[in-house]
Amino acid sequence: MSSVIKAVGLRFAYRRVPVLEDVSFDVQRGDYVGIIGPNGGGKTTLLKLILGLEKGEGKISLFNTPLAQFSDWHKIGYLAQKSPVSQSRFPISAQEIVLMGLPQRLGSGVSVGELKQVHAAMQKTHTREYAGKIFHDLSIGQQQRVLLARALVSHPEILILDEPSTALDAQSRGMFFDLLGELNQKHGVTILLITHDTGEVGKHISKFMYVDKTVVFFGTKEEFCHSEAVAKQLGPFAQHTIDHLHNHHGHCPLGEDCEECHHAGGNHA
Amino acid sequence: MLEFLSYGFVQRGLVAGTFVAVACALLGVFLVLKRLSLIGDGMSHVCLTGVAVALLTSTSPVYMSVPIVMAASAGILKITSTFKIYGDAAIGIVSAAGLSVGLLITALAGGFNTDLLSFLFGSILTVSWSEAALCGLLLVVILILLRAFYRDLTSACFDEPFAKTRGVAVQAVHTVLVLITSVAIVLAFKVVGIFLISALLIIPPVAALLVSRTFKQVLWKSVAFSVLSVWLGVFISFVYDIPSGAAIILMNLFFLACSFVWMKLGNNHDR
Repeated sequence: MSSVIKAVGLRFAYRRVPVLEDVSFDVQRGDYVGIIGPNGGGKTTLLKLILGLEKGEGKISLFNTPLAQFSDWHKIGYLAQKSPVSQSRFPISAQEIVLMGLPQRLGSGVSVGELKQVHAAMQKTHTREYAGKIFHDLSIGQQQRVLLARALVSHPEILILDEPSTALDAQSRGMFFDLLGELNQKHGVTILLITHDTGEVGKHISKFMYVDKTVVFFGTKEEFCHSEAVAKQLGPFAQHTIDHLHNHHGHCPLGEDCEECHHAGGNHA
Repeated sequence: MLEFLSYGFVQRGLVAGTFVAVACALLGVFLVLKRLSLIGDGMSHVCLTGVAVALLTSTSPVYMSVPIVMAASAGILKITSTFKIYGDAAIGIVSAAGLSVGLLITALAGGFNTDLLSFLFGSILTVSWSEAALCGLLLVVILILLRAFYRDLTSACFDEPFAKTRGVAVQAVHTVLVLITSVAIVLAFKVVGIFLISALLIIPPVAALLVSRTFKQVLWKSVAFSVLSVWLGVFISFVYDIPSGAAIILMNLFFLACSFVWMKLGNNHDR
Protein backbone atom coordinates (compact mmCIF):
# COMPACT_ATOMS: atom_id res chain seq x y z
CA MET A 1 0.00 0.00 0.00
CA SER A 2 1.21 3.49 -0.78
CA SER A 3 -0.12 6.91 -0.06
CA VAL A 4 -2.04 8.53 -2.93
CA ILE A 5 -3.68 11.47 -1.16
CA LYS A 6 -2.11 12.98 1.92
CA ALA A 7 -3.40 16.04 3.76
CA VAL A 8 -1.67 17.69 6.72
CA GLY A 9 -3.13 20.54 8.79
CA LEU A 10 -5.68 21.73 6.21
CA ARG A 11 -7.63 24.82 7.07
CA PHE A 12 -10.16 26.70 4.97
CA ALA A 13 -12.33 29.69 5.83
CA TYR A 14 -14.97 31.43 3.73
CA ARG A 15 -15.15 35.17 4.50
CA ARG A 16 -13.36 34.50 7.81
CA VAL A 17 -15.91 31.84 8.82
CA PRO A 18 -14.02 28.57 9.34
CA VAL A 19 -15.31 25.75 7.13
CA LEU A 20 -12.56 23.22 7.83
CA GLU A 21 -9.91 23.20 10.54
CA ASP A 22 -6.94 21.00 11.31
CA VAL A 23 -7.75 18.33 8.72
CA SER A 24 -5.16 15.57 8.30
CA PHE A 25 -5.51 12.15 6.68
CA ASP A 26 -3.68 9.70 4.46
CA VAL A 27 -5.59 7.78 1.77
CA GLN A 28 -3.82 4.63 0.56
CA ARG A 29 -3.86 3.17 -2.95
CA GLY A 30 -6.93 0.95 -3.37
CA ASP A 31 -8.97 2.55 -0.57
CA TYR A 32 -12.68 3.08 -1.17
CA VAL A 33 -13.57 5.90 1.19
CA GLY A 34 -17.16 6.86 1.92
CA ILE A 35 -17.19 10.48 3.10
CA ILE A 36 -20.17 11.22 5.30
CA GLY A 37 -21.18 14.02 7.61
CA PRO A 38 -23.84 16.70 8.09
CA ASN A 39 -24.80 19.28 5.44
CA GLY A 40 -22.45 22.25 5.65
CA GLY A 41 -19.83 20.12 7.39
CA GLY A 42 -17.21 20.85 4.73
CA LYS A 43 -17.24 17.60 2.70
CA THR A 44 -17.46 19.25 -0.73
CA THR A 45 -14.93 21.90 0.30
CA LEU A 46 -12.54 19.12 1.31
CA LEU A 47 -12.79 17.52 -2.15
CA LYS A 48 -12.30 20.91 -3.80
CA LEU A 49 -9.16 21.49 -1.73
CA ILE A 50 -7.80 18.11 -2.83
CA LEU A 51 -8.51 18.99 -6.47
CA GLY A 52 -7.02 22.47 -6.18
CA LEU A 53 -10.38 24.12 -6.93
CA GLU A 54 -10.18 25.98 -3.60
CA LYS A 55 -7.07 27.25 -1.91
CA GLY A 56 -6.64 26.83 1.83
CA GLU A 57 -3.84 26.53 4.35
CA GLY A 58 -1.92 23.33 5.03
CA LYS A 59 -0.32 20.71 2.80
CA ILE A 60 -1.83 18.35 0.25
CA SER A 61 0.10 15.88 -1.82
CA LEU A 62 -1.17 13.64 -4.62
CA PHE A 63 0.91 10.54 -5.42
CA ASN A 64 3.57 12.01 -3.08
CA THR A 65 3.80 15.19 -5.16
CA PRO A 66 2.83 18.52 -3.56
CA LEU A 67 -0.44 19.78 -5.08
CA ALA A 68 1.21 22.92 -6.52
CA GLN A 69 3.63 20.78 -8.54
CA PHE A 70 1.18 18.03 -9.47
CA SER A 71 0.52 17.78 -13.21
CA ASP A 72 -0.66 14.19 -13.86
CA TRP A 73 -4.31 15.22 -13.77
CA HIS A 74 -5.31 12.39 -16.11
CA LYS A 75 -4.71 10.09 -13.11
CA ILE A 76 -7.67 11.69 -11.35
CA GLY A 77 -11.32 11.49 -12.38
CA TYR A 78 -13.80 13.94 -10.91
CA LEU A 79 -17.58 14.00 -10.88
CA ALA A 80 -19.22 17.01 -9.26
CA GLN A 81 -22.48 17.22 -7.40
CA LYS A 82 -24.31 19.26 -10.03
CA SER A 83 -24.53 18.90 -13.77
CA PRO A 84 -22.65 21.86 -15.26
CA VAL A 85 -25.15 22.93 -17.91
CA SER A 86 -28.52 21.90 -16.59
CA GLN A 87 -29.91 25.39 -17.19
CA SER A 88 -28.10 26.46 -20.31
CA ARG A 89 -28.36 25.75 -24.02
CA PHE A 90 -24.90 24.40 -24.74
CA PRO A 91 -25.09 22.46 -28.01
CA ILE A 92 -22.62 19.70 -27.41
CA SER A 93 -23.01 15.94 -27.83
CA ALA A 94 -22.57 13.39 -25.05
CA GLN A 95 -19.57 12.00 -26.93
CA GLU A 96 -17.90 15.42 -27.07
CA ILE A 97 -18.42 15.75 -23.31
CA VAL A 98 -16.68 12.44 -22.62
CA LEU A 99 -13.86 13.45 -24.95
CA MET A 100 -13.16 16.41 -22.65
CA GLY A 101 -11.90 13.93 -20.07
CA LEU A 102 -8.88 13.18 -22.26
CA PRO A 103 -5.82 15.45 -22.26
CA GLN A 104 -5.63 18.28 -24.82
CA ARG A 105 -3.88 17.45 -28.07
CA LEU A 106 -3.15 20.17 -30.56
CA GLY A 107 -5.95 20.65 -33.04
CA SER A 108 -9.66 20.01 -32.99
CA GLY A 109 -9.53 16.49 -34.45
CA VAL A 110 -10.06 13.21 -32.63
CA SER A 111 -7.82 10.18 -33.11
CA VAL A 112 -9.16 6.65 -33.57
CA GLY A 113 -7.52 5.64 -30.28
CA GLU A 114 -9.27 8.47 -28.45
CA LEU A 115 -12.61 7.54 -29.96
CA LYS A 116 -12.15 3.93 -28.83
CA GLN A 117 -11.38 5.11 -25.28
CA VAL A 118 -14.51 7.31 -25.31
CA HIS A 119 -16.74 4.48 -26.53
CA ALA A 120 -15.28 2.07 -23.95
CA ALA A 121 -15.99 4.54 -21.12
CA MET A 122 -19.53 5.10 -22.41
CA GLN A 123 -20.06 1.36 -22.64
CA LYS A 124 -19.09 0.99 -18.97
CA THR A 125 -21.65 3.60 -17.86
CA HIS A 126 -24.34 2.34 -20.27
CA THR A 127 -24.42 5.62 -22.19
CA ARG A 128 -23.08 4.41 -25.56
CA GLU A 129 -26.57 4.76 -27.08
CA TYR A 130 -26.62 8.49 -26.22
CA ALA A 131 -23.23 9.24 -27.81
CA GLY A 132 -24.62 11.41 -30.61
CA LYS A 133 -27.36 13.07 -28.57
CA ILE A 134 -27.19 16.64 -27.33
CA PHE A 135 -26.19 16.57 -23.65
CA HIS A 136 -28.83 19.19 -22.82
CA ASP A 137 -31.57 16.88 -24.19
CA LEU A 138 -30.72 14.00 -21.83
CA SER A 139 -32.43 13.45 -18.47
CA ILE A 140 -30.48 14.47 -15.36
CA GLY A 141 -29.74 10.81 -14.55
CA GLN A 142 -28.48 10.16 -18.09
CA GLN A 143 -26.36 13.33 -17.93
CA GLN A 144 -24.83 12.13 -14.66
CA ARG A 145 -23.83 8.80 -16.25
CA VAL A 146 -22.28 10.61 -19.23
CA LEU A 147 -20.28 12.74 -16.78
CA LEU A 148 -19.16 9.56 -15.00
CA ALA A 149 -17.91 8.28 -18.39
CA ARG A 150 -15.98 11.55 -18.75
CA ALA A 151 -14.41 10.96 -15.33
CA LEU A 152 -13.45 7.39 -16.30
CA VAL A 153 -12.22 7.93 -19.86
CA SER A 154 -8.60 8.70 -18.93
CA HIS A 155 -8.37 5.47 -16.85
CA PRO A 156 -7.88 7.39 -13.58
CA GLU A 157 -6.12 5.90 -10.59
CA ILE A 158 -8.21 8.02 -8.23
CA LEU A 159 -11.91 8.77 -8.60
CA ILE A 160 -13.33 11.70 -6.63
CA LEU A 161 -17.12 11.80 -6.59
CA ASP A 162 -19.39 14.33 -4.89
CA GLU A 163 -22.85 12.88 -4.22
CA PRO A 164 -23.06 11.38 -7.71
CA SER A 165 -26.16 9.28 -7.12
CA THR A 166 -28.59 12.05 -6.11
CA ALA A 167 -30.29 12.22 -9.53
CA LEU A 168 -30.27 8.50 -10.27
CA ASP A 169 -33.26 6.15 -10.00
CA ALA A 170 -33.01 3.02 -7.85
CA GLN A 171 -31.92 0.72 -10.72
CA SER A 172 -29.32 3.15 -12.09
CA ARG A 173 -28.02 3.73 -8.56
CA GLY A 174 -27.45 0.01 -8.02
CA MET A 175 -25.62 -0.28 -11.36
CA PHE A 176 -23.64 2.86 -10.61
CA PHE A 177 -22.34 1.63 -7.25
CA ASP A 178 -21.68 -1.87 -8.61
CA LEU A 179 -19.53 -0.27 -11.33
CA LEU A 180 -17.59 1.74 -8.73
CA GLY A 181 -17.13 -1.42 -6.66
CA GLU A 182 -15.78 -3.27 -9.69
CA LEU A 183 -13.38 -0.44 -10.55
CA ASN A 184 -12.10 -0.49 -6.99
CA GLN A 185 -11.82 -4.24 -6.52
CA LYS A 186 -10.76 -5.41 -10.00
CA HIS A 187 -8.77 -2.43 -11.21
CA GLY A 188 -7.48 -1.06 -7.89
CA VAL A 189 -8.94 2.41 -8.45
CA THR A 190 -8.87 4.50 -5.27
CA ILE A 191 -12.27 6.11 -4.68
CA LEU A 192 -13.33 9.05 -2.52
CA LEU A 193 -17.08 9.35 -2.47
CA ILE A 194 -19.30 11.83 -0.69
CA THR A 195 -22.67 10.23 -0.17
CA HIS A 196 -25.80 10.22 1.93
CA ASP A 197 -26.73 6.97 0.22
CA THR A 198 -25.07 4.88 2.92
CA GLY A 199 -27.17 1.78 2.27
CA GLU A 200 -26.24 1.06 -1.36
CA VAL A 201 -22.66 2.28 -1.33
CA GLY A 202 -21.80 0.44 1.85
CA LYS A 203 -21.58 -2.92 0.09
CA HIS A 204 -18.27 -1.89 -1.40
CA ILE A 205 -16.55 0.79 0.67
CA SER A 206 -13.56 -0.10 2.81
CA LYS A 207 -13.27 3.04 4.95
CA PHE A 208 -15.36 5.83 6.38
CA MET A 209 -14.41 9.46 6.75
CA TYR A 210 -16.75 11.48 8.94
CA VAL A 211 -16.35 15.20 8.24
CA ASP A 212 -17.89 17.91 10.37
CA LYS A 213 -15.65 21.02 10.23
CA THR A 214 -12.77 18.61 10.72
CA VAL A 215 -12.14 14.91 10.16
CA VAL A 216 -13.97 13.48 13.17
CA PHE A 217 -13.21 9.93 12.12
CA PHE A 218 -11.21 8.17 9.41
CA GLY A 219 -10.79 4.41 9.48
CA THR A 220 -12.24 1.02 8.56
CA LYS A 221 -15.90 0.05 8.95
CA GLU A 222 -15.03 -2.00 12.02
CA GLU A 223 -13.20 0.94 13.61
CA PHE A 224 -16.19 3.14 12.80
CA CYS A 225 -18.36 0.85 14.91
CA HIS A 226 -16.05 1.34 17.92
CA SER A 227 -15.27 5.03 17.50
CA GLU A 228 -16.19 7.15 20.50
CA ALA A 229 -15.84 10.27 18.39
CA VAL A 230 -18.50 9.00 15.97
CA ALA A 231 -20.72 7.90 18.83
CA LYS A 232 -20.54 11.45 20.23
CA GLN A 233 -21.59 12.90 16.87
CA LEU A 234 -24.24 10.38 15.85
CA GLY A 235 -25.20 8.52 18.99
CA PRO A 236 -24.54 4.76 19.26
CA PHE A 237 -27.77 3.73 17.53
CA ALA A 238 -27.17 5.72 14.31
CA GLN A 239 -23.50 4.73 14.42
CA HIS A 240 -24.41 1.06 14.40
CA THR A 241 -27.28 1.43 11.95
CA ILE A 242 -24.97 2.99 9.35
CA ASP A 243 -22.38 0.33 9.90
CA HIS A 244 -24.81 -2.58 9.79
CA LEU A 245 -26.30 -1.28 6.54
CA HIS A 246 -22.88 -1.69 5.09
CA ASN A 247 -22.79 -5.34 5.93
CA HIS A 248 -24.28 -7.60 3.24
CA HIS A 249 -26.52 -9.40 5.70
CA GLY A 250 -27.40 -6.50 7.93
CA HIS A 251 -25.37 -7.84 10.83
CA CYS A 252 -22.58 -6.17 12.73
CA PRO A 253 -19.28 -7.42 11.31
CA LEU A 254 -18.03 -7.88 14.86
CA GLY A 255 -20.85 -10.31 15.67
CA GLU A 256 -21.27 -11.42 19.30
CA ASP A 257 -18.13 -9.56 20.40
CA CYS A 258 -19.55 -6.12 19.66
CA GLU A 259 -20.31 -4.50 23.02
CA GLU A 260 -21.96 -1.52 21.38
CA CYS A 261 -24.46 -3.89 19.75
CA HIS A 262 -25.39 -5.32 23.11
CA HIS A 263 -25.84 -1.83 24.59
CA ALA A 264 -27.86 -0.66 21.60
CA GLY A 265 -30.13 -3.68 21.63
CA GLY A 266 -28.66 -6.12 19.10
CA ASN A 267 -29.03 -6.03 15.35
CA HIS A 268 -30.39 -2.67 14.17
CA ALA A 269 -29.99 -3.13 10.44
CA MET B 1 -25.48 47.25 -59.51
CA LEU B 2 -22.32 45.70 -58.12
CA GLU B 3 -20.13 48.44 -59.58
CA PHE B 4 -19.75 49.91 -56.10
CA LEU B 5 -17.37 47.00 -55.43
CA SER B 6 -14.83 48.64 -57.75
CA TYR B 7 -14.31 51.51 -55.32
CA GLY B 8 -11.18 51.11 -53.20
CA PHE B 9 -12.81 52.38 -50.02
CA VAL B 10 -15.62 49.83 -50.41
CA GLN B 11 -13.11 47.02 -50.94
CA ARG B 12 -11.16 48.06 -47.82
CA GLY B 13 -14.36 48.29 -45.83
CA LEU B 14 -15.59 44.89 -46.94
CA VAL B 15 -12.26 43.19 -46.29
CA ALA B 16 -11.90 44.72 -42.82
CA GLY B 17 -15.60 44.16 -42.10
CA THR B 18 -15.34 40.49 -43.04
CA PHE B 19 -12.28 39.95 -40.84
CA VAL B 20 -13.96 41.71 -37.90
CA ALA B 21 -17.22 39.84 -38.48
CA VAL B 22 -15.49 36.44 -38.36
CA ALA B 23 -13.40 37.41 -35.31
CA CYS B 24 -16.38 38.75 -33.35
CA ALA B 25 -18.60 35.80 -34.35
CA LEU B 26 -16.05 33.27 -33.04
CA LEU B 27 -15.16 35.17 -29.86
CA GLY B 28 -18.84 35.90 -29.24
CA VAL B 29 -19.73 32.20 -29.03
CA PHE B 30 -17.36 31.74 -26.08
CA LEU B 31 -18.36 35.03 -24.45
CA VAL B 32 -22.09 34.26 -24.69
CA LEU B 33 -21.64 30.75 -23.29
CA LYS B 34 -19.45 32.06 -20.47
CA ARG B 35 -22.06 34.78 -19.79
CA LEU B 36 -19.55 37.51 -20.54
CA SER B 37 -21.36 38.88 -23.57
CA LEU B 38 -21.87 42.31 -22.01
CA ILE B 39 -18.12 42.83 -21.90
CA GLY B 40 -18.47 44.12 -25.48
CA ASP B 41 -20.87 46.80 -24.31
CA GLY B 42 -18.63 47.80 -21.42
CA MET B 43 -15.44 47.86 -23.47
CA SER B 44 -17.08 49.87 -26.25
CA HIS B 45 -17.73 52.63 -23.73
CA VAL B 46 -14.07 52.54 -22.78
CA CYS B 47 -13.29 52.98 -26.50
CA LEU B 48 -14.73 56.46 -26.12
CA THR B 49 -11.84 57.33 -23.80
CA GLY B 50 -9.35 56.03 -26.38
CA VAL B 51 -11.00 57.97 -29.19
CA ALA B 52 -11.20 61.14 -27.09
CA VAL B 53 -7.50 60.89 -26.13
CA ALA B 54 -6.60 60.28 -29.79
CA LEU B 55 -8.60 63.28 -31.00
CA LEU B 56 -7.04 65.44 -28.28
CA THR B 57 -3.51 64.35 -29.15
CA SER B 58 -4.10 64.01 -32.92
CA THR B 59 -3.05 60.35 -32.94
CA SER B 60 -4.70 57.24 -34.40
CA PRO B 61 -7.91 56.38 -32.49
CA VAL B 62 -7.44 52.67 -33.18
CA TYR B 63 -3.83 52.46 -31.96
CA MET B 64 -4.60 54.73 -28.97
CA SER B 65 -7.66 52.70 -27.96
CA VAL B 66 -6.04 49.23 -28.06
CA PRO B 67 -3.88 49.63 -24.89
CA ILE B 68 -6.60 51.59 -23.06
CA VAL B 69 -9.30 48.98 -23.71
CA MET B 70 -6.92 46.11 -22.92
CA ALA B 71 -6.04 47.79 -19.61
CA ALA B 72 -9.74 48.21 -18.85
CA SER B 73 -10.34 44.51 -19.60
CA ALA B 74 -7.51 43.57 -17.26
CA GLY B 75 -9.16 45.89 -14.72
CA ILE B 76 -12.45 43.99 -15.00
CA LEU B 77 -10.67 40.68 -14.40
CA LYS B 78 -8.75 42.14 -11.46
CA ILE B 79 -11.86 43.64 -9.84
CA THR B 80 -13.73 40.36 -10.29
CA SER B 81 -10.99 38.22 -8.73
CA THR B 82 -9.76 40.63 -6.03
CA PHE B 83 -13.06 41.87 -4.66
CA LYS B 84 -15.04 38.69 -5.48
CA ILE B 85 -17.84 40.65 -7.13
CA TYR B 86 -19.88 39.48 -10.11
CA GLY B 87 -18.41 39.97 -13.58
CA ASP B 88 -21.38 42.01 -14.85
CA ALA B 89 -21.01 44.45 -11.93
CA ALA B 90 -17.27 44.82 -12.68
CA ILE B 91 -18.11 45.48 -16.36
CA GLY B 92 -20.63 48.13 -15.27
CA ILE B 93 -18.05 49.87 -13.06
CA VAL B 94 -15.28 49.95 -15.69
CA SER B 95 -17.75 50.88 -18.43
CA ALA B 96 -19.05 53.87 -16.43
CA ALA B 97 -15.49 54.95 -15.66
CA GLY B 98 -14.54 54.71 -19.36
CA LEU B 99 -17.56 56.69 -20.52
CA SER B 100 -17.07 59.39 -17.85
CA VAL B 101 -13.38 59.88 -18.63
CA GLY B 102 -14.11 59.92 -22.36
CA LEU B 103 -16.81 62.58 -21.98
CA LEU B 104 -14.58 64.62 -19.65
CA ILE B 105 -11.70 64.63 -22.15
CA THR B 106 -14.10 65.47 -24.99
CA ALA B 107 -15.45 68.42 -23.00
CA LEU B 108 -11.91 69.62 -22.21
CA ALA B 109 -11.06 69.36 -25.92
CA GLY B 110 -13.92 71.71 -26.78
CA GLY B 111 -16.90 69.47 -27.25
CA PHE B 112 -18.10 66.95 -29.80
CA ASN B 113 -17.09 67.17 -33.42
CA THR B 114 -17.89 65.18 -36.57
CA ASP B 115 -14.88 62.86 -36.11
CA LEU B 116 -16.17 61.65 -32.79
CA LEU B 117 -19.67 61.13 -34.19
CA SER B 118 -18.29 58.93 -36.97
CA PHE B 119 -16.74 56.69 -34.28
CA LEU B 120 -19.96 56.57 -32.31
CA PHE B 121 -22.03 55.44 -35.29
CA GLY B 122 -19.40 53.67 -37.39
CA SER B 123 -17.88 54.49 -40.77
CA ILE B 124 -16.75 51.25 -42.37
CA LEU B 125 -15.96 53.04 -45.62
CA THR B 126 -13.19 55.09 -43.99
CA VAL B 127 -11.11 52.05 -43.00
CA SER B 128 -7.48 52.17 -44.19
CA TRP B 129 -5.55 49.22 -45.64
CA SER B 130 -3.29 49.15 -42.56
CA GLU B 131 -6.37 48.87 -40.31
CA ALA B 132 -7.76 46.12 -42.56
CA ALA B 133 -4.41 44.29 -42.27
CA LEU B 134 -4.58 44.63 -38.48
CA CYS B 135 -8.06 43.07 -38.55
CA GLY B 136 -6.64 40.21 -40.64
CA LEU B 137 -3.78 39.70 -38.19
CA LEU B 138 -6.21 39.52 -35.28
CA LEU B 139 -8.30 36.95 -37.11
CA VAL B 140 -5.25 34.80 -37.83
CA VAL B 141 -4.29 34.86 -34.12
CA ILE B 142 -7.83 33.86 -33.13
CA LEU B 143 -7.97 31.01 -35.66
CA ILE B 144 -4.57 29.66 -34.55
CA LEU B 145 -5.59 29.72 -30.87
CA LEU B 146 -8.95 28.14 -31.61
CA ARG B 147 -7.38 25.38 -33.69
CA ALA B 148 -4.63 24.65 -31.17
CA PHE B 149 -6.66 24.77 -27.97
CA TYR B 150 -10.14 23.79 -29.18
CA ARG B 151 -10.68 21.07 -26.58
CA ASP B 152 -9.39 23.17 -23.67
CA LEU B 153 -11.51 26.14 -24.77
CA THR B 154 -14.72 24.14 -25.04
CA SER B 155 -13.98 22.35 -21.79
CA ALA B 156 -13.32 25.64 -19.96
CA CYS B 157 -16.59 27.08 -21.32
CA PHE B 158 -18.70 24.00 -20.62
CA ASP B 159 -17.49 23.07 -17.14
CA GLU B 160 -14.84 25.28 -15.57
CA PRO B 161 -14.19 23.23 -12.38
CA PHE B 162 -13.76 20.02 -14.37
CA ALA B 163 -11.45 21.76 -16.84
CA LYS B 164 -9.29 22.85 -13.90
CA THR B 165 -9.05 19.25 -12.70
CA ARG B 166 -7.77 18.31 -16.20
CA GLY B 167 -4.94 20.81 -15.73
CA VAL B 168 -6.47 23.38 -18.11
CA ALA B 169 -5.20 26.85 -17.20
CA VAL B 170 -8.74 28.20 -17.01
CA GLN B 171 -7.72 31.62 -15.70
CA ALA B 172 -5.22 32.04 -18.54
CA VAL B 173 -7.87 30.98 -21.08
CA HIS B 174 -10.24 33.54 -19.57
CA THR B 175 -7.62 36.32 -19.62
CA VAL B 176 -6.56 35.64 -23.22
CA LEU B 177 -10.22 35.51 -24.33
CA VAL B 178 -11.00 38.85 -22.72
CA LEU B 179 -7.82 40.57 -23.96
CA ILE B 180 -8.31 39.38 -27.55
CA THR B 181 -11.92 40.49 -27.34
CA SER B 182 -10.80 43.96 -26.31
CA VAL B 183 -8.61 44.23 -29.44
CA ALA B 184 -11.51 42.97 -31.59
CA ILE B 185 -13.78 45.59 -30.05
CA VAL B 186 -11.39 48.41 -30.91
CA LEU B 187 -11.08 47.18 -34.50
CA ALA B 188 -14.86 46.78 -34.71
CA PHE B 189 -15.74 50.35 -33.78
CA LYS B 190 -14.82 51.58 -37.26
CA VAL B 191 -17.17 48.97 -38.74
CA VAL B 192 -20.34 49.41 -36.70
CA GLY B 193 -19.56 52.25 -34.29
CA ILE B 194 -19.01 52.31 -30.55
CA PHE B 195 -22.74 52.07 -29.78
CA LEU B 196 -23.28 48.87 -31.74
CA ILE B 197 -20.08 46.85 -31.20
CA SER B 198 -21.58 44.55 -28.59
CA ALA B 199 -24.26 43.49 -31.10
CA LEU B 200 -21.56 41.98 -33.34
CA LEU B 201 -20.40 39.86 -30.42
CA ILE B 202 -23.84 38.80 -29.19
CA ILE B 203 -26.38 38.53 -32.03
CA PRO B 204 -24.64 36.10 -34.46
CA PRO B 205 -23.73 33.56 -31.71
CA VAL B 206 -27.22 33.73 -30.20
CA ALA B 207 -28.82 33.20 -33.63
CA ALA B 208 -26.46 30.27 -34.25
CA LEU B 209 -27.19 28.72 -30.85
CA LEU B 210 -30.90 28.65 -31.73
CA VAL B 211 -30.39 26.54 -34.86
CA SER B 212 -27.37 24.34 -34.06
CA ARG B 213 -26.99 20.84 -32.71
CA THR B 214 -23.23 20.67 -32.23
CA PHE B 215 -20.59 23.08 -31.02
CA LYS B 216 -18.85 23.18 -34.39
CA GLN B 217 -22.15 24.07 -36.05
CA VAL B 218 -22.54 26.99 -33.67
CA LEU B 219 -19.13 28.32 -34.66
CA TRP B 220 -19.59 28.18 -38.42
CA LYS B 221 -23.22 29.35 -38.39
CA SER B 222 -22.26 32.29 -36.18
CA VAL B 223 -19.55 33.19 -38.69
CA ALA B 224 -21.95 32.80 -41.63
CA PHE B 225 -24.63 35.06 -40.08
CA SER B 226 -22.05 37.67 -39.12
CA VAL B 227 -20.28 37.83 -42.50
CA LEU B 228 -23.53 37.88 -44.49
CA SER B 229 -24.78 40.70 -42.24
CA VAL B 230 -21.69 42.80 -42.98
CA TRP B 231 -21.85 42.20 -46.75
CA LEU B 232 -25.60 42.84 -47.03
CA GLY B 233 -25.36 45.76 -44.56
CA VAL B 234 -22.63 47.49 -46.56
CA PHE B 235 -24.56 46.94 -49.80
CA ILE B 236 -27.79 48.36 -48.36
CA SER B 237 -25.90 51.23 -46.76
CA PHE B 238 -24.30 52.14 -50.11
CA VAL B 239 -27.47 51.81 -52.17
CA TYR B 240 -29.82 53.63 -49.79
CA ASP B 241 -27.22 55.98 -48.26
CA ILE B 242 -27.91 54.96 -44.66
CA PRO B 243 -25.36 54.49 -41.81
CA SER B 244 -23.43 51.24 -42.40
CA GLY B 245 -23.29 50.28 -38.70
CA ALA B 246 -27.06 50.42 -38.33
CA ALA B 247 -27.59 48.50 -41.59
CA ILE B 248 -25.19 45.73 -40.48
CA ILE B 249 -26.82 45.30 -37.09
CA LEU B 250 -30.32 45.31 -38.62
CA MET B 251 -29.22 42.49 -40.91
CA ASN B 252 -27.92 40.61 -37.85
CA LEU B 253 -31.31 41.08 -36.21
CA PHE B 254 -32.98 39.80 -39.39
CA PHE B 255 -30.95 36.56 -39.17
CA LEU B 256 -31.75 36.28 -35.47
CA ALA B 257 -35.47 36.59 -36.26
CA CYS B 258 -35.13 33.93 -38.99
CA SER B 259 -33.35 31.59 -36.55
CA PHE B 260 -36.07 32.14 -33.97
CA VAL B 261 -38.81 31.34 -36.51
CA TRP B 262 -36.86 28.25 -37.66
CA MET B 263 -36.59 27.07 -34.06
CA LYS B 264 -40.27 27.74 -33.36
CA LEU B 265 -41.27 25.77 -36.45
CA GLY B 266 -40.06 22.70 -34.62
CA ASN B 267 -36.49 22.45 -35.78
CA ASN B 268 -35.04 23.15 -32.33
CA HIS B 269 -33.53 20.59 -29.99
CA ASP B 270 -35.48 21.36 -26.84
CA ARG B 271 -37.06 18.50 -24.97
